[in-house]
Amino acid sequence: MSANRRILTGVAVWVVLVTALHFAWNVNWSVITNDLVPLDKRKLNVAYIPVT
Amino acid sequence: MTDYISAYSDHGNLFIPRLFQGFPEIKEALMSDKIQAGFMVAPMAIALRAQGVPVRIVYLGHRYGSAVVVGKDSAIRSPADLRGRTIAIPSRFSNERLVVYKVLRDLAIPPDEVRLVEMAPPDVAGALASSAIDAFSMGEPFPSQAEIGGFGRVLFHAKDVWPDYTSCVLVVRQDVIDRRPETVQILVDGIARSGIWLDDGRENREHAAEFVGRFYYRQDPKLLRWALTNPLDRVKYTPLTPYKDEFDLIVDLMLETETLDRHIEFSEYVDAQFAEGAKHQTAWKYKPGSGRAE
Repeated sequence: MSANRRILTGVAVWVVLVTALHFAWNVNWSVITNDLVPLDKRKLNVAYIPVT
Repeated sequence: MTDYISAYSDHGNLFIPRLFQGFPEIKEALMSDKIQAGFMVAPMAIALRAQGVPVRIVYLGHRYGSAVVVGKDSAIRSPADLRGRTIAIPSRFSNERLVVYKVLRDLAIPPDEVRLVEMAPPDVAGALASSAIDAFSMGEPFPSQAEIGGFGRVLFHAKDVWPDYTSCVLVVRQDVIDRRPETVQILVDGIARSGIWLDDGRENREHAAEFVGRFYYRQDPKLLRWALTNPLDRVKYTPLTPYKDEFDLIVDLMLETETLDRHIEFSEYVDAQFAEGAKHQTAWKYKPGSGRAE
């Protein structure tokens, strides 16, 4: 494998890995999937802040 | 609390808890229907309703639990010493602001003789530690954080100067109340049961501090443990019914501080049916560490 090809493969693997980790850690999937449910069956989003 | 209701009530998973870092963000999310319910400071909820935003207060989040804190070695020894000082508050639409105003008013100190600055609650401890502010008026666990950190001293607790003091309230969008009242009732019932359970003793409070601090507030659990147990009535979770005379006082103080431009009737901003429905709830049957509840 040429040096260029190795670098491109490495970059591609890195991008895929970081993207996957971002989607796993930073995206609230329960909120996104909830928005796809019919209005009357959705869970209610309840906001709180870290204060008593 | 919402996860608890989902896990242990018969109704299944009905709620998604969403962590925010400030009340203005909650207000915006509520107005844009990104959230359907939320805890916010009572004056903000009243002001929203007065401005025509279709939301109602349905329950309280807690009682007491706010304090005015000064630097540990500060020359401020009494509320009168606040004259000329800079005090951080979570929002101009907050009971933490009103309690400062009320104390100064009772001492005949004009409100313009203190400088109030709005600050997100998580930022106040650092601001006090670095002397960027002279004091802050904030809900727990930030007074506890200043005490534990050794850089702050409670000047007075809100409950010392304002009996039956309340701060955070549960606000729900009117369209949700109209469309899904049974879901709102389940939420309020769950909060009522959690409140009774928390007020049942030190063991329950210490357990709650551990898992709420670790998994929900993302704070050191010892902060919440301090806030919930030093002393046990530093924050109370019963009764959580919104009472008219208590809210009349808030509205009067808001009119005096010009955070409200007209009188608003209690029934206009509070929907009492859910608190009434939760009146006979009992504590969760949950022993700390058992992993089961009814």
